[in-house]
Amino acid sequence: MMLKSRIVFVVFCCGSWALALAQGVTLPATERVVLDNGTVLILNEKPDVPMIGVRAVLRGGAVADPDGKNGLASLFAALIEKGAGQRDSAAFAEAVDSVGGNLSANAGLENITISGDFLARDVDLMLELLADMLMRPTLKRTELDKLRARSINFILAAKDSNPGDLMPIYANAFLFGDHPYGTAVSGSETSLSAISHRDVLRYYEQQIGSDRLIISISGYFDVADMRDRLTAAFADWRAASGDIVDVNAAEPQAGRRVLLIDKPGATQTYFWIGNVGVARDYEHRADLDLANTVFGGRFTSMLNTALRIESGLTYGARSRLRRPSKPGSIGISSFTATDTTVEAIDMALGILGQLHDTGIAEEMISSARNYVLGQFPTRLETATQLAAQFAVLEAYGLANSYIDDYGVAVTAVTAESITSVIDAVYPQQNDLVFVLLGDAASIRDSVAKYGPVTEMSITEPRFRPSK
Amino acid sequence: MPIFSELRRRNIPQVAFVYIVGAALFYWLGVVMQTQFDLPWWTNRLIAILLVIGLPLALIFAWVYEITPAGLKKAVDVDQTQSIVFKTGQKLNAALAVLVVLAGVAMIADRLLPELAIVEPPPVPERVFDQPVGDNVPEEIRSFTLDNGLKIIVWPDHDIPNVVMYNFIRAGGRNEYPGITGLAHFFEHMMFNGTENLEPGEFDRVMEAAGGANNAYASNDITAYMNWFPRSALDTIFNLEADRLANLSFTPEAVESERGVIASERGRRVDNDNTGKLYEQMMATAFIAHPYQFPVLGWPSDIAAWTLLDLENFYRTYYAPNNCTMVFSGDVTADEIYTLADEYFADIPAQPAPAAVRTIEPDQLGVRRFTIEAPSQTPLLDMAFHAGSATDPETLPMELLLNILVGGDSSRLHRLLVEELQIAISVGGFQGEGFDPSLAYLSMTLPPGGDPAAVEVRVMQALNEVATAGVSDAELTKARNIILANFWRKIATIDGKASSLGNFEIFHGNYEKLFDLPSDIENISNDTVRDVAAKVFRANNATIGVLVPAAEEKE
Repeated sequence: MMLKSRIVFVVFCCGSWALALAQGVTLPATERVVLDNGTVLILNEKPDVPMIGVRAVLRGGAVADPDGKNGLASLFAALIEKGAGQRDSAAFAEAVDSVGGNLSANAGLENITISGDFLARDVDLMLELLADMLMRPTLKRTELDKLRARSINFILAAKDSNPGDLMPIYANAFLFGDHPYGTAVSGSETSLSAISHRDVLRYYEQQIGSDRLIISISGYFDVADMRDRLTAAFADWRAASGDIVDVNAAEPQAGRRVLLIDKPGATQTYFWIGNVGVARDYEHRADLDLANTVFGGRFTSMLNTALRIESGLTYGARSRLRRPSKPGSIGISSFTATDTTVEAIDMALGILGQLHDTGIAEEMISSARNYVLGQFPTRLETATQLAAQFAVLEAYGLANSYIDDYGVAVTAVTAESITSVIDAVYPQQNDLVFVLLGDAASIRDSVAKYGPVTEMSITEPRFRPSK
Repeated sequence: MPIFSELRRRNIPQVAFVYIVGAALFYWLGVVMQTQFDLPWWTNRLIAILLVIGLPLALIFAWVYEITPAGLKKAVDVDQTQSIVFKTGQKLNAALAVLVVLAGVAMIADRLLPELAIVEPPPVPERVFDQPVGDNVPEEIRSFTLDNGLKIIVWPDHDIPNVVMYNFIRAGGRNEYPGITGLAHFFEHMMFNGTENLEPGEFDRVMEAAGGANNAYASNDITAYMNWFPRSALDTIFNLEADRLANLSFTPEAVESERGVIASERGRRVDNDNTGKLYEQMMATAFIAHPYQFPVLGWPSDIAAWTLLDLENFYRTYYAPNNCTMVFSGDVTADEIYTLADEYFADIPAQPAPAAVRTIEPDQLGVRRFTIEAPSQTPLLDMAFHAGSATDPETLPMELLLNILVGGDSSRLHRLLVEELQIAISVGGFQGEGFDPSLAYLSMTLPPGGDPAAVEVRVMQALNEVATAGVSDAELTKARNIILANFWRKIATIDGKASSLGNFEIFHGNYEKLFDLPSDIENISNDTVRDVAAKVFRANNATIGVLVPAAEEKE
């Protein structure tokens, strides 16, 4: 019986392995509750380590920042950590740190998120602090003044030490212009200075409330008990008075234009090349993910192979997509020594052309498929990751099938389907926005060939050139 | 007509035999399926009952009906001269013969094949594994050492179908000397650049095509290689890792190309990053004898100048199984890792142990200061003090103390400098925990126009306060809780499990000490923290570095 049963067993294993691979990862069970005031609770018990991860999401975010006051949502988020309920700024920080917890609020383009993880024994404190931040923030003027000054100084510090980190801000500002997706989420020196205490109070009243709140929680707890606690804590909260900002899709860039940000003395040029891409719910997401994996999403991608592995021009080159509710950006980013700026950009453009001209070979699709499916499970490993994932799905109105059916979709990608997605999504050579940050005196003339150049200094207190 | 001859004419005995032998075979197949597919226990019994009920039905059917060239007819309606019952009987006999042979084969297979089944690996004897000693160590963790000195630790965790592998090499910046600074880090890059069997870049292509991803880092003390992969890629990973440990080989062209990559990395992390610049100068100033003074990325002149021979020497000396420790965590068993390790790594020969690093940094004789002028809007202040090595008893108290001083928004220096005085926009700090004594390091970013000297005075006052009055019980409890929660955060992932075990094995000599951490932090008293502060935070033991805006160039 042994050999035959072994064969049966092996066939069975191969079959189930292929099936598991094809199916990818499925989300664990959750309980979803909608309170009368609109707040959505999502609960998932995960008792592997004695910790609890929570992710609260307020739909809205930086796209609701008023004109000239970019960074308002971001400042608000920082301010609710600086005093809430009975605790002032110092006491609030002390409460979180004293039990080894993490609890922080951050603004994104289309939402504000509060992320926390605490030892399970401190669950009472965690829920109290979370409820205080949302429902009873102190919003003190003196704390706002300190935060505003610090936020401005953080931008200056990044200009000194991490100019690469600022590239996505410059890039989105230049690509999207006045469209809400061009906003600098954490503000600019100019826009932060314009934000008053009254702006923050008004923002809290109009944009923050139960009707747009999602609380997703995962970890070491009993679901029924946690549901009751959260319901008791949040059921009586008011709704926000204003509407959630509805964003129209931006027009893609036609033709070319170049922004050159001058950082005198820089020995490297940082560059971004791209256009408008796709939205979060883009229907051919699996094809696009595989295409981007091959083009610029992993170490052996076409871009990194050419610019790093084969030529040594850079430490890294990649392509990234930003996928909000309406089409965001798609772009190539890298950096290189000042005197190889043109060589590296030309090479990147050549690779983009190659992607359009020759597409992706079957063998490479299969490699990317294995890579995407092989790495996917590690993104849903911890309570914190799961809580965040459930919150994102809820915030964007996506079903669990967005994750559960992903493996099947990735498996179904063909050479034909991927080719049509590349044509549709990746920008054409003639329609590109270039954003370069480096020593303008050294590269000004040579980069003029890419298109009409607009120039600004890195010391300008905003992320887009003055009109 | 006698009933028996009519039974025979209608082939009833053949039908009965064929049915019985066929049913036996079918039942046997059912047993196999049941065990392999975990079907419920009653499935076999159900099959047996159905087969028994089926026998009389089959016989009655065979009596009543007869096969004719025109199809199935009632036997009584068939014209006996046209009957083909004899031919049908012959066919039944043939079928019976085939079934009997099959049944015979099945019986033999059932008895003999367990011995022939080579698919199943022999179980690994439990004695090859070192059993965890501490009762606070998760019982599923196993470790073993191959004859060539390669030690491997395995922490199975089947939550996700993935595996993490760390390979720690005991070679880092401390093993360098002037002329080859940055070589350990350069080597970290070259480990991906070709072997006798693989072209440059193929290592990554093969790994990614199997669903794996990798990275690596070099520090002052070690070089570590990490692979994150689905379980299905286990064989591929062993193959790749064994190949580059035994057969690394690269061309001069690959070396030249990689020099450019390193220059770009240095450009990003040091030359165009003011905090990176200040850190590099701090290490070069605080250490005057010990090789921790060399930047891990290397001095630019060395990056441009090291040779193939330097690389070959480094590889032979440090990339030996007896100088490596590997850790696996995830969807694996200790048995299968042992079997694979034995197959892939056991034949790689050990090398003589590398020469020990002899230099001990002499006591500092007075405060050291340096200034960097660089294009900037926000001045920087770094203050570093000579402290202990990873195993030094002063190191854990210092870790607690640094949490109290700069860990989180409630920490002393954050409260004082950022919130109250607003003379800094951020504070941070860490302690080098390596093989040799390193630094307790504080760094402050100032607002534009900020005065580093004023910040330094405040920091020294705060440090003196700790050195004389100690910290409060609440602060000590807080620091313990931060470390405890971080411990749990870390081991919530297979990556954190592998890196934590590896770091304790490498720097503390035994991975089991990881699990002593929660009790070790409980045993540190306020007095100990104060004494360590008094010993380390002395002005004579300090190196102070500032980065200030470059003076405007005159037109």
